[in-house]
Amino acid sequence: MKKGTADTSSNIGAMKRRSVLKGMGGLGLGLAAAGSGFLASRRDAAAAESLNYMCWEGYNAPSILEPFQKSKDASISIDLITDSAGGFAKLAAGASRDFDLVSSDSPWIQRMGPAGFCRYIDEADFADQFAEFYPQFRAPFAPLAFEGKATGLPTRWGWVGPTVNTKFDKLETWSSYAPVFDSAYKDKICLLDWGDWPIMPLALYAGINPYEELDDAALEEVRKVLRAAFKNTRAIVADLAVAQKGLIDGSFRALIGGGTYATSALRMKGHDYIQSIVPEPKNGLKQGIIWMEATGLIDNGKNSQIAADFLKYIVSPDVAKQLAITEATCNLVPNSKAEALFSEEEKKALQMDYMWTAWDNSQFHTVAPNIDDMLAIWQEELAAR
Amino acid sequence: MRIERKSWNDPVFVATVAPLALVMVAFFLVPLLMTAVLTFQTTQYYRLVWTWDLKIWTEVFSKPHYWTIMMRTVAMALICVVLTVLIAFPAAYALATRLKTFKTQIQILIIFAFLTDAVLKTFGWILILDKNGVANWLLMHLGFPPEMLNLLFTPTGTMIGMVYNLVAYPMFTIYLSLVRIDRDLMLAAYDAGASRIRTFFEVTLPLSRPGLYSGAVLVFVLSLGAFLEPKVLGGGTSPLASELIRQSFETRVNWPLGAALTMVLITIGALMLAACAAFVLRRPSTGRRPA
Repeated sequence: MKKGTADTSSNIGAMKRRSVLKGMGGLGLGLAAAGSGFLASRRDAAAAESLNYMCWEGYNAPSILEPFQKSKDASISIDLITDSAGGFAKLAAGASRDFDLVSSDSPWIQRMGPAGFCRYIDEADFADQFAEFYPQFRAPFAPLAFEGKATGLPTRWGWVGPTVNTKFDKLETWSSYAPVFDSAYKDKICLLDWGDWPIMPLALYAGINPYEELDDAALEEVRKVLRAAFKNTRAIVADLAVAQKGLIDGSFRALIGGGTYATSALRMKGHDYIQSIVPEPKNGLKQGIIWMEATGLIDNGKNSQIAADFLKYIVSPDVAKQLAITEATCNLVPNSKAEALFSEEEKKALQMDYMWTAWDNSQFHTVAPNIDDMLAIWQEELAAR
Repeated sequence: MRIERKSWNDPVFVATVAPLALVMVAFFLVPLLMTAVLTFQTTQYYRLVWTWDLKIWTEVFSKPHYWTIMMRTVAMALICVVLTVLIAFPAAYALATRLKTFKTQIQILIIFAFLTDAVLKTFGWILILDKNGVANWLLMHLGFPPEMLNLLFTPTGTMIGMVYNLVAYPMFTIYLSLVRIDRDLMLAAYDAGASRIRTFFEVTLPLSRPGLYSGAVLVFVLSLGAFLEPKVLGGGTSPLASELIRQSFETRVNWPLGAALTMVLITIGALMLAACAAFVLRRPSTGRRPA
């Protein structure tokens, strides 16, 4: 769960999230939405098949959707999510009957299994796709499994660690999260307000593995570390542009809880002095976090073949490459064949030379058993600040 | 003016009132009731479980941090009311009495303030309040030390945003009250020997109360729901009630808790408005003895 501020649902062709944020002028937005809705309804009427797709930004790019729609004579209606938990809650509240597939953060795709609206994928049917993935993502892929069955396919990934402007700080300074608590960094730290993302690294620094079942003593340690971090925190920012601006101009010396999702697009635009790294393991506990987005099929009773076809399409090398480089964010993809399609600049922006180092020093962002307790602690400590 | 009493037996009266009543029931009372019902439910694995339970209310009343944020919200709303009224009144007064030549242009500007999206206006303040922003740049060129102002990501930054986004409301309502004041009343006060200041306090200000109160109520209610300003200009470090509610609904996916906090906020707002209404509508003492 993460990323962004605006909550906008739209059909294909409607404005992207970032352009919505930039131009929330009301009238123009209304006209654009009305126009795209009209166009979409015309296309719905003409297309042989339709697909209802809930997804994050980037997955809705016309360059991704339109070739599929043309080749399959299908129309795709998009519901753009800006919060994975909110998207899941919507599905759990009954919208799962209306959607065919969803692209969201991997813990929420995995949760569709126990929630009872996951259309599990047969790994044999997707053997060709798994074969193209890096070995780390091949079947059986535990982070997306529920009771031994696959709930979806990985689609984008990256890591969460300190994001640093090397014009102001050496990377070695951030080989641990210690500066977050250093008085020399008072009012220079920015936490990304992206759900549980900022909590996990701080818990790891406190020596707590947040992905395990936590007792009261462990939760108390999480409370203490959050309290200490808030003392140095200048801002808890949900908007990516605000965080990026502060990092570039040096008013934030580090972003915590954003990782590569917050920086790759900056690097793509030439700010290659911005880097996301993973701290060194502390007392044997890996300090980084690997986040991943996945795409899963929804059990809505239709058993739609076109939804399964789209799932294969979205992880194919060409599409994966487009999914990696979007206007708002740039991210790694699990398809190893896509790597050959990236230019050297793109590889550098994505920090591909560092990705397996980050992987080796990170926990995988899975379902945390005590996540609600930790979010409640976050709220309490923020109120007491 | 004669007040005509209407009866529910009057079909014309019922036909006139019914559409509004239906709208209010459908779009206000029913959602409010649904929100209230939601507070007694529980969630299990991010799904609502339809049981009647006081668990959420127990949590709301046992965790002081919810009340800390609620009280902070009320305090910020009250400060915002005071500041907006203090800014809006002189502006509206000048518009109604002194700037008649540019009245239309200024009215258009105020209307633009209503039409411009709050997101744009709020984000625009970042460019001004930032350490490297316009305000510090100006101060530095005036000879002040660099980065003198540090208002972004502070409660003061939140307040600046709230006041800026809401000041147009009382400005408009107060202006409407001021232009309706019969100028002969002020002239009569002058004829009776009252100074300009006394005339203002004893004639103009009391007669502009409807606009003052309605503007204050609008600002108070809107301030209680302030979301963007604390998030964008306040830096999220001093969250207000709307952020607490958002977190409960969205991040924690705890809809009953979000609904309960919503009900608490609505109740606090309603109680405060009721108290203000009682104060405003209290029968003034005439000072006369009964005959």
